[in-house]
Amino acid sequence: MQLVLKNIDPDYISDTSHSDIWNKEITVTKGEHVHIIAPSGSGKTSLIHFIYGLRTDYKGSIVHDGKNIKNLRAEKKASIRQNSMSIIFQDLRLFDDHTALENIEVKRKLNPFHPPEMIYEMATRMGVANKLPQVIKTCSYGEQQRIAIIRSLMQPFDFLLLDEPFSHLDEENRTKAMELLLEECEKRKAAMIFADLKELDMLKNEKILHL
Amino acid sequence: MGLSSKNITPFIHPEKTWSKWIGYAGLTIGILLLLVSVQMFLNIRVLLKEEAPRKSGAFDYVSISKVITNQNMGSDNRFSPNDIQLLKNQPEIAGVAPLYSNQFRATASAGNILPFSTDLFLESINPAFLDTLPKDFQWQPGQVDVPVIFSSEFLEMYNVFAPSQGLPQLSPKTISSVNIFLQCSGTRGSQNFRASIIGLTDRVNSILVPQSFLQWANQEFSGDSSTLVSRVYLKTVDANNPVLLKFLDDHGYYINKDKVRFGRIKGLLQNITGAIASLGILMIILALIFFGFYLRLKIARSRENIKLLIALGYSPGWLSGVFSKSFLPVYLALILICLGITEVFQFFFSHLSFAQETVGPYIHWIVLATAGVLLIVTMLINRIMVRSEIRQL
Repeated sequence: MQLVLKNIDPDYISDTSHSDIWNKEITVTKGEHVHIIAPSGSGKTSLIHFIYGLRTDYKGSIVHDGKNIKNLRAEKKASIRQNSMSIIFQDLRLFDDHTALENIEVKRKLNPFHPPEMIYEMATRMGVANKLPQVIKTCSYGEQQRIAIIRSLMQPFDFLLLDEPFSHLDEENRTKAMELLLEECEKRKAAMIFADLKELDMLKNEKILHL
Repeated sequence: MGLSSKNITPFIHPEKTWSKWIGYAGLTIGILLLLVSVQMFLNIRVLLKEEAPRKSGAFDYVSISKVITNQNMGSDNRFSPNDIQLLKNQPEIAGVAPLYSNQFRATASAGNILPFSTDLFLESINPAFLDTLPKDFQWQPGQVDVPVIFSSEFLEMYNVFAPSQGLPQLSPKTISSVNIFLQCSGTRGSQNFRASIIGLTDRVNSILVPQSFLQWANQEFSGDSSTLVSRVYLKTVDANNPVLLKFLDDHGYYINKDKVRFGRIKGLLQNITGAIASLGILMIILALIFFGFYLRLKIARSRENIKLLIALGYSPGWLSGVFSKSFLPVYLALILICLGITEVFQFFFSHLSFAQETVGPYIHWIVLATAGVLLIVTMLINRIMVRSEIRQL
C-alpha cells in the first residue's frame, strides 16, 4: 500500500519553490519512516490534515491506495480512518470532559487492534497509568499528549501521522514514546509520517523532507 | 461496524429543553386526532352503509320526476325522449334509465290463500339499474308466468296494513311462494297471467316486470308503444353534487329529498372527520418542525464532540443512525399511548345506543396501519433531518 503526494500546492502559501514536498511528487510506502522538518507556520499541520482528509483547500492530489483522498465521500473517509490511517493531532483533540480512559476507549472500540488490557500496559510504560480515570482537562498538557499517543495506537493502520507529538514531553518521555510508536508501527508494518520542527535522532531509516 | 451506540452516547450531550416537550405534546395531540378521525371515518361508513341502498359501488341511484304544480297539473308531465337525451348529456349523470309503466289495467289477486284483490301498476326498467337481478327475471311472448321484482318498502307497507284487513303478514322469503293471479285488460282485450315475486329491491319503489313483458302487454292490450315516462332513474357518482341538484331544480325535476338529505348528512359528517384528520396532520407537521429545532439544538450543543468523533473515524451515517434511533422508543411510546386512547374512545363509542349493533368495540386495522405508517414516516423525517445536520458539520 502506498500514499502518493502529487504536486500539492496549498492555496495560501505563495512561495513553494524551496520545498521538498510542495509541488513535488512523493511516494510513501508501508514500513517507511518519513520525517518532515519545518519551522512553525510553514504548513506542517496543513499537510497532515490534507493527508488525513480533514482539509481540501489545495491543488494537486493525495492518492491513498489508488484513490484520491480529496474526492472520497465521508463514509469512505471514516473507513480509512478506522482501518488504514491513524493520527496524533498537534492540538491533541481530546474530549475535555471525559476521562483519559474514555478518550482512549472511544477510539479502541471503533476498530480494536488491542485488547483493553493493552491500554493499561501502554499507560504504565508512558507513566500515565494513574491518570486514566482522571478527566482530561485536569491533566497536564504533557499527560494529555501521552494519552493522545496511546489513543492513536488502538486501531489497525498502514500510515501513522504524527504532528509534533512530543512538543510537551521531556527527553525521557520522548524516548519512551518514540520506542512505543516504532514498536507499534513495526507490528503493523506501517509507515510513519512524522512532522516536527527539528530533526529527531531517534527515527530509524527515515526519509527526511524539508517543507 | 459492530459498534454499540452506548459507546458514544456520553459524548452527545443529553439536552432537556422546552422545545422537546412542546414537540412531544404536539406530536401526541396530532397523532391522536389523526387516529381518532380515521376510526370515526370508518365508523361513519359502517353506520351509514346499512341505510344507503341507493349506493352501489361508487354510484348513487336516484329517481326523478317532474314537479307537479297547480299550474302544470292538467298538462302532460312525462319525460319526452328529448328530456331523456338532455339528462344523458349531463356530465354529472353516468346513466339514465326511464321507468316505463303499464298503459293497460292490471289487477292482482292472490287466490284463496290471501283473499284480496287490487288494481296495481307495473313498471319496467333497464336491468342494469337493479340492485337485485335474479336470473329468471325474463319473459317471452307466450309465457304465462310473469316474474316480478317487488319494492321491499311496499312489502313493509303491506305488512303494516295486512293485520287490520285480516291478511297474513309476509316475510321476504314467504312472499316468493305466494301465487298472484294477474289480469291484464285493455281496449284491445284481456289475458290472465301467473305472477310470482322472485326478488325484492331496496332501490326502486315499484312493482317491476321484465321490459319485454311490459312492451308486449302495452302493445297487446292498449296498442300503445309510446316512449313517454313519468319517472326516470339516474346513476350518478354523487347525488348531492350541487351542480346536479341545480340542473334538476332548473328543469323543474323533483328528486327524492329524503335520500339526498341523508347523503348530505353523511357527506357533512365525513367532511368534519376529514377536517379533524387534516388538523391532526397539521399538528404532526408542526410537531416535527419543533422536533427539527430540538434536534438542531442538540446537534449544535454536541457539535464539537460530533466533529471529533467523525475525525476519529466514526462514520457520519452511523452517527446519524444512532442519533435518530434514540428517538424510536419515544415515538413508539407516543404512538402506543395514542392507540390506547383511540381504543378507549372506540370502546365507548361502540356502546352508544345508535352504534351498538353495527360498530365493533375494537379499533379497525386501518387505524393500526395508519399508526405504523406514522411511525415509519416520523422516523424517516427524523433521520433525514439528523443526516443533513450532521453532514453540515
